[in-house]
Formats: sequence, structure tokens, C-alpha cells
Amino acid sequence: MPTSNAGAACQGGTMFGYVNIYKPELKMKDFYKYKAYYCGLCKTLKDKYGSFGQITLTYDMTFLIILLTSLYESETTHEIHRCIVHPVKKHDTLRNKITEYAADMNIVLTYYHLLDDWQDDKSIAGFTGTKLLNNKFNKICKKYPRQCKGIGNSLNQLKECEKSNLQNIDLVSRCFGELMAELFIYKEDVWEPTLRKFSFFLGKYIYIIDAYEDLAEDIKKNRYNPLKSISEKESYEKECKNILNIMMAECTSEFEKLPCLLDADILRNILYEGVWTKFESLQKKKLENIQN
Amino acid sequence: MIADPYKVLGISPSSSNDEIKKAYRELSRKYHPDSYVDNPLSDLAEEKFKEVQEAYDQIMKQREGGYSGDGNYGSQGTYTSGGTDEPIEMTAVYNYINTGHYREAINVLSSIGNRTARWYFCSAIANAGIGNNYEALNHAQTAVNMEPGNPEYTNLLNQLQFRGQTYQNTRYGGGSFGTGNLCCDLWCADTLCECMGGDLCRCF
Repeated sequence: MPTSNAGAACQGGTMFGYVNIYKPELKMKDFYKYKAYYCGLCKTLKDKYGSFGQITLTYDMTFLIILLTSLYESETTHEIHRCIVHPVKKHDTLRNKITEYAADMNIVLTYYHLLDDWQDDKSIAGFTGTKLLNNKFNKICKKYPRQCKGIGNSLNQLKECEKSNLQNIDLVSRCFGELMAELFIYKEDVWEPTLRKFSFFLGKYIYIIDAYEDLAEDIKKNRYNPLKSISEKESYEKECKNILNIMMAECTSEFEKLPCLLDADILRNILYEGVWTKFESLQKKKLENIQN
Repeated sequence: MIADPYKVLGISPSSSNDEIKKAYRELSRKYHPDSYVDNPLSDLAEEKFKEVQEAYDQIMKQREGGYSGDGNYGSQGTYTSGGTDEPIEMTAVYNYINTGHYREAINVLSSIGNRTARWYFCSAIANAGIGNNYEALNHAQTAVNMEPGNPEYTNLLNQLQFRGQTYQNTRYGGGSFGTGNLCCDLWCADTLCECMGGDLCRCF
């Protein structure tokens, strides 16, 4: 288990799931399309990095693919594959060069996460995982030095914040915001400033909701959490909702400036509703716990 | 600055955002440099391509602000002293804010011990400028609490709250989300997970 949020945030299952669709409001054709992008990433990870790559498969990366595909209107290939995990079923996959990019970035995040695991716990799993990934990571770093360096720097800054038990939510979460910004800048072109702000606030949102989800556990285990201070206030729940709301408000305000027409319904479904699914269910769970 | 960016895109100022985006896409495809390689018209096309991009950026910038119009926080373009009894450092703060050097403004602000309503007001603007939007909101609120009658402070607070309200209003229904059933929500997510064979609960 990672002891820091920096690690937790990059972990396949932990950070992931926040930037997801809200199915009840999504058209079926869009749902299948979303699934095909997701399966396309899964297939690409398998092709490029073997079954190891798939461990880290994430919804957030699917979002990155759909957003950048919409922005750059990249030529996408539709294929039907037998799913490796469900060999009986056939799956539609949608893939393009952004899928390749997302797969590479997925490996970078996995690498840093495993490295973090190992440094924190000296865990064997982290260490062997990192060694396995070393070659792959180095290759990707040569191809995308800006992203790899940026992500590494942001994670180091995040660690510093955690070490000093920083309780200023903006200052902590902006480290993760900057990490996301490097990830989302696929090309340094006219869209960079807007895309940077967009992903910066999305990253802040992810970091904060992750902290919100982990708060009780972190208090119990005496671990760092940036929300500890404000959680002592009576208005804590309301305050958190407000913080998350203003992050998404800035994020979507930037999104609306991008000329994203392709799959705009999916993107808006995620940005205006999907990102809240986890928060709503967490709040519901808390309410039920109080009532029981 | 383009005098009439809507004219460049061939649309009316009342067009929706999506109509603007469609027009932009069509025109930037039409004038894309790749289509004019070894063509005598390539210079003209490139000029047109740049103009289309500029017009698009200009319209989006104009529309982004909503409340504030220009997308920048603060009620007027430039900031000046709020009174004669201000510490001398505040002059530097105003200069930094007016030139967009928000980090420098924050550095100077942090060196000032006496935190007046004016201090919180300036801090709110500088923090908003570098993406510390929660801090900005809190400091704007503090400035208003300290001097409730000051229209400049109230104005800034309204501007900072505006996007949050817009976002909430844009969301479907604007009220409750989720299927209202946690199991069902989990099932929805699980359906997607099956591609990699993962039971969602294992992903946590």
C-alpha cells in the first residue's frame, strides 16, 4: 500500500474512476463508443507492454483519449477483437495515435507509482515492478522528455507538501494539477494554454476528491491528508462540495473554449455529471452510516 | 485585434458556441497549409488560416468571462491604492497585479504583516491569477466581511463565484445525480470494467 497520496493518486484503482461517465444520461451509441475507446486502450497496452501494461488500465486515460481525439480530430481505426480477458466475447475497439500516447503515459504513471511504493515501503512488489518497467520507461522518456520530467517534478513537489503536512488545499492540489497539465499537453501548439488550464483544474479536482475519499482511513492510520484541518469544521461536507464545484467550474470554462465537436456529448457527460458520481455515492454512504 | 471576428468566421454574434466551433473547423480545414503545398495561393491561405484562428480565440475570450467580460478578475483594468495610509509595499503589489506578475504580488503580500481588507482583496486577485481559486474565494470573502459596503470587494467576490454558479446551472437538472441507487451505480461502472475482466470492486 502506498503511504502517500502522491502514490495513491497514480494507482490504477485509486485515483481512477473519478473521471468517468454517468451512464444514465449517456446515449447508448455514445456508451458503446466510450467502451470501444476503453477497449482500444486495453488492446494497445497489451500489444505494446504485454499483460503487465493492462494492470494499470484506467478510465481517466480513456477520457484523455476522447478529449484529445476530439480536439485534434485524429484518424481513428475501428476494429473488432476478441478480448484477452473474455476470449468468448468480441469487442469493438477504437484506436488512433492518441491511444498510443495514452498507453505510454499510462506506463509512466505506473512507473512512478511503483517507484513511490518501493521508496515508501521498500516493498518487493514495487521494486521488481520498477525493474521490469525500467527499460520501457526509459524508452518513453526519450520520446516524451517534457512529460516524464514534468510528472516526476510534480510528484516530488507533492511529496514535499505531504512531508510538511501542508493544509493549504490549493498549494497541495496544484502539484497534481501541474502533473495532469503535462500529461494533457500532447502537442505544444495554439491549444496549449487552454488545455493546460483545463487539465490543471481537473487535476486539482482529482487530487481533492481522492483526499476526500481517503480522509477517514488517513486519520485512522495517522497518514497525511490535506483535508484534515477543514474536516474539523462543521461545514466540512458543504465546503468540500464547494471546493470541488469551483474546480470543475474552472475546468469546464476552459473546455468550452476548445473546438471539441466530436464526442462532445461524451465529454460533457463526464465533465458535468460523471465526475460527481463518486462524490455523490460517498456522501450517500456517509449519510447511511449516520442513520444506522 | 480583429474588428469583427464573427465576420471572419462568417457567422452572426448571436451564434451558439457550437456554431462558432463548426464554422471554425470548416474554415481552418479549408485554409489549412497542408492543402496548399506548392500552390501559388499558399501565402494567402496561410494568412487566412491565421486570421481564422485569431478570430476564434478572440470570440472565445470575449465569451469566457460571462460576468467580467474580459475573463480577468477585478472590476477595472488597473488597480491603484485604496487609501493614503497603505504600506509602501502595496505600490509594488498593484504594479505586479496590473502587469500579470501574480506570483511576485503574492510574495510581496506575504511580507506585509498588517492584513487589511485591501490586503485580502489584492491577495484574492493574485491567487485567482495563478489558479489558487479556493484561496482567492476565501480571501475575497474575508475582504467583503471586513468591509461589507465596499462595492469593489463585493464585485470581485461575485465574479469569483460566477463560474461556480454557471457550472451548477449547466449540469443536468442541477439537483441530484446518480441513479439514486448505489448498487446500480456500481453496476454501471462494473459493466465498463468487464473489458479487462476486472470486477470493479477489485479495482478499488
